[in-house]
Amino acid sequence: MSEADAIVRWGKLLLAAGVLLLGSSCVGVRQINELAIVTAVGLDVGKKPNTVRLSAQIIRPADARGQTGAPSGGTGEPIYSVETEGASIFDAIRNLGRFSSRRVYWAHNFLIVMHEDYARQGIQDMVDFFTRNHELRMNTWVAVTPDSPAELISTITGLEVVPGEAVDSLFRSNHVAGLAPGSNMRNLEESFLSVSTEPILAKLMLRPRGISNKKPEEQGSLEQVELGGAAVFKEGKMLGWLTPMESRALLMFREKLASGIETLPCPGDQDRRLTMEFKDARMDVDPGYSKGDIHYRIRVKMDASIVESGCAKSIASIREEAEALLAAQVKKRIERVVERAQREYRSDFLKLGEVFRNSYPVEWRGMSGHWSEVFSEAETKVEVSVRVNSAVLKAEGTGVR
Amino acid sequence: MNRLAAAAKAVLERKIAPGLADNEAAIDEVMGNCADLLKRSFLLGGDRRVPGLLVCLDGMADLGTVEAILKELLPFAEGSLKRFPDDSEVEALPNFYLSSASTHTCETVGEAIAAVISGNAVLLFEGYGSGLIANARGWKERNVEEPSTENNLRGPRDGFSESIRTNTALVRRRIRDPMLRFAAMTVGTRTQTSINIAYIGDLVKEGLVDEVKRRLGRIRIDSVLESGYIEELIEDAPLSPFNTAQSTERPDKVASALLEGRVAIFVDNTPHVLIVPTFFWQFMQAPDDYYNRYWVGTFYRFVRYIAFMISLLLPSIYVMLVSFHQEMIPTSLALTIASGREIIPFPVLLEALIMEFAFELMREAGLRMPKPIGQAVSIVGSLIIGQAAVQAGLVSPFMVIVVAMTGISSFAIPGYTSSLAIRLLRFPLLIASGLFGLLGFATMAFALLLHVLSIHSFGEPYLAPASPYRPSDQRDMLLRVPIWMMDLRPEFAQDRERMEGSQMPKAPKEGQR
Repeated sequence: MSEADAIVRWGKLLLAAGVLLLGSSCVGVRQINELAIVTAVGLDVGKKPNTVRLSAQIIRPADARGQTGAPSGGTGEPIYSVETEGASIFDAIRNLGRFSSRRVYWAHNFLIVMHEDYARQGIQDMVDFFTRNHELRMNTWVAVTPDSPAELISTITGLEVVPGEAVDSLFRSNHVAGLAPGSNMRNLEESFLSVSTEPILAKLMLRPRGISNKKPEEQGSLEQVELGGAAVFKEGKMLGWLTPMESRALLMFREKLASGIETLPCPGDQDRRLTMEFKDARMDVDPGYSKGDIHYRIRVKMDASIVESGCAKSIASIREEAEALLAAQVKKRIERVVERAQREYRSDFLKLGEVFRNSYPVEWRGMSGHWSEVFSEAETKVEVSVRVNSAVLKAEGTGVR
Repeated sequence: MNRLAAAAKAVLERKIAPGLADNEAAIDEVMGNCADLLKRSFLLGGDRRVPGLLVCLDGMADLGTVEAILKELLPFAEGSLKRFPDDSEVEALPNFYLSSASTHTCETVGEAIAAVISGNAVLLFEGYGSGLIANARGWKERNVEEPSTENNLRGPRDGFSESIRTNTALVRRRIRDPMLRFAAMTVGTRTQTSINIAYIGDLVKEGLVDEVKRRLGRIRIDSVLESGYIEELIEDAPLSPFNTAQSTERPDKVASALLEGRVAIFVDNTPHVLIVPTFFWQFMQAPDDYYNRYWVGTFYRFVRYIAFMISLLLPSIYVMLVSFHQEMIPTSLALTIASGREIIPFPVLLEALIMEFAFELMREAGLRMPKPIGQAVSIVGSLIIGQAAVQAGLVSPFMVIVVAMTGISSFAIPGYTSSLAIRLLRFPLLIASGLFGLLGFATMAFALLLHVLSIHSFGEPYLAPASPYRPSDQRDMLLRVPIWMMDLRPEFAQDRERMEGSQMPKAPKEGQR
């Protein structure tokens, strides 16, 4: 074969490749500016029975980001909130296409928030839809609200331009306040699929927290989204709520919460307050098994410091009492959440089943089928030890040290 | 072969005749009435007054040297030849009377004319059947200047010029080793371009020099105007966009290549010298790496590798992510990109192609333009591309950043000729990823990788020492280890030991001074 032949052959190959490339006409292409990027989704029960009302917060990038050198026409609103109804979630989303000029795009969704009523009816559909869709990210936050989800996702906060982004940052820093679980699609699905563990979702609500700059005398006239508390589930249906303080104890079980603050009455003086911050809290759950009975020994060790003291006595003198008070308080909270899980909801959202299975895999096999009954009968013993190692205070009750 | 060429060929093969007039006629017949041909007849000193003829080319031969030769031969000039030796041959003339540095005799008209054309003076005498060639070469040439395409901060500033002798001397000055050899060849039937193959006899890989000579000897071409002609005719991978023969203007690069056991090909009339075998990684290495401290050298090598990745991949990755895989962009970034693209009328692929083309246009225009206009064009170009296009809503600000990054990165690659290959390869990658997203990008990138893996340069794999993996050569690929650790030459060199080991300097301990 001569050189010229080789070149002709290569030329033909290239030509064929070129025709193939052009013939494909950019299959599957969708430009980023042709997408309606959803940043938050609300789910509610529809007006008619057996329908779903879906509200979506769609971002308007040009206005959400402002001028980035390019001129951009716009109404100035960073988000476009819409609502549809349908027989199922998928149906509702398809109905979204009736009026959305752009293709609805879910991959950048920050938040899925369900109304309490919707959650009580069962979240199987929702988990199914939002995990099967390959575009969706598993780190989307999931929450339940007693207020209107549509209103909640379109409430603009003072700091962020996009509400979905605001809730995203709220969730990211949830360990600062430590009052709600950081529930996202991943751990929801994990608990949802687990035989023993039941899902738990964070609670979002609208509270009049914002102060209008124009009318500062009307305190708290602007509603803001607040994260606190949790929704308890069993067998895919919501059962009820946990208070924010119960959620803190829950976080110790589920997310290894290591720090937080507690306000206590002063030792020997119920009217004055002592605020303590605990750090490096470590929880050990030891399951035990004897003759068909399961018992748990829950031990918590923590270091604490006194961060605010209104007590009349010197810190040195109340230190040991403060330790005991804090230990009792934490113990009370843990016992409370365990009590609610075992007796009230009979739902193992504390992952105690997993702990037991890891230690007693053989025994587990016999009881996995009726774990929720076994769990609610289990005995628990909570031990808390606190060590106050620093009083980061200058002022001491009535004067400066 | 036409009639004129046939006639000239017949004359060239003729022996030099004893009759001076015959020879003059023969020269005239071949060269015609050439404007720069200088013929000076004279009478040789001594009793016999032998008529002689000096032939040279004005401009190729140094007239001062020619005059000095004549002065020694003319009878009445002071200190000149007083008597012509009766019976001796012309060959004896230089032994007694000519002080020229290099002389030899010639037997045919062809040899005489070849000597004249290359700048020598040819002396012919009545009654003698051979001519005498005296070296009188001397022409105007550019000075040794700083190389314009390969700059550095620390290191020698001299660059090759157009004269092959100057160029070989620049290398010889750096390597005063008797084993440094220059083998001469001539390529080009009309241009008769001199080519020198430089190598160090005891370092170069066995057989490499013969292979280079074989490939050069195979060339049948009328003209060689630049080393690029040679490069394309001796390459291993003639269809590849990558160049498998490195070209450089820097004598220090050539010297270092020779010391690693490679071969350099000098071509007359060009400052670009070829180095073979060539490895891909060489294009990422600059002489500064070795002249600066090794920390700096290694760091900037990494900068260059990143620049290489950016200049090859960044536009494709951007196009791929923005038009196919938006879920792979972090949300905040996705929103920013989307906001910049809100009013852009083109798909991302077209936008990228337009901007890349605009950039290449500016580069090419900037290169070809007469220097005084350069500034005007660069101002207009950068304003149009950077500012006006964005404000008019034709391209997104992000695309401007991507293209600018790509352009700057491609200039950071020291081997300018190889950065051209990367600039070309960007386009197939860009189109493939714009048409098929990640699938097209990955396919094209792998095709490219397989291609680079498959090509060789004078028998050496192009990607060595990365693939095939050569452990001891790693010291000078990604990293630039300290000089005291580079004790071995590359694996293909004959004699691998470069220096004695363990020469890491140590400060003397206190009291031992």
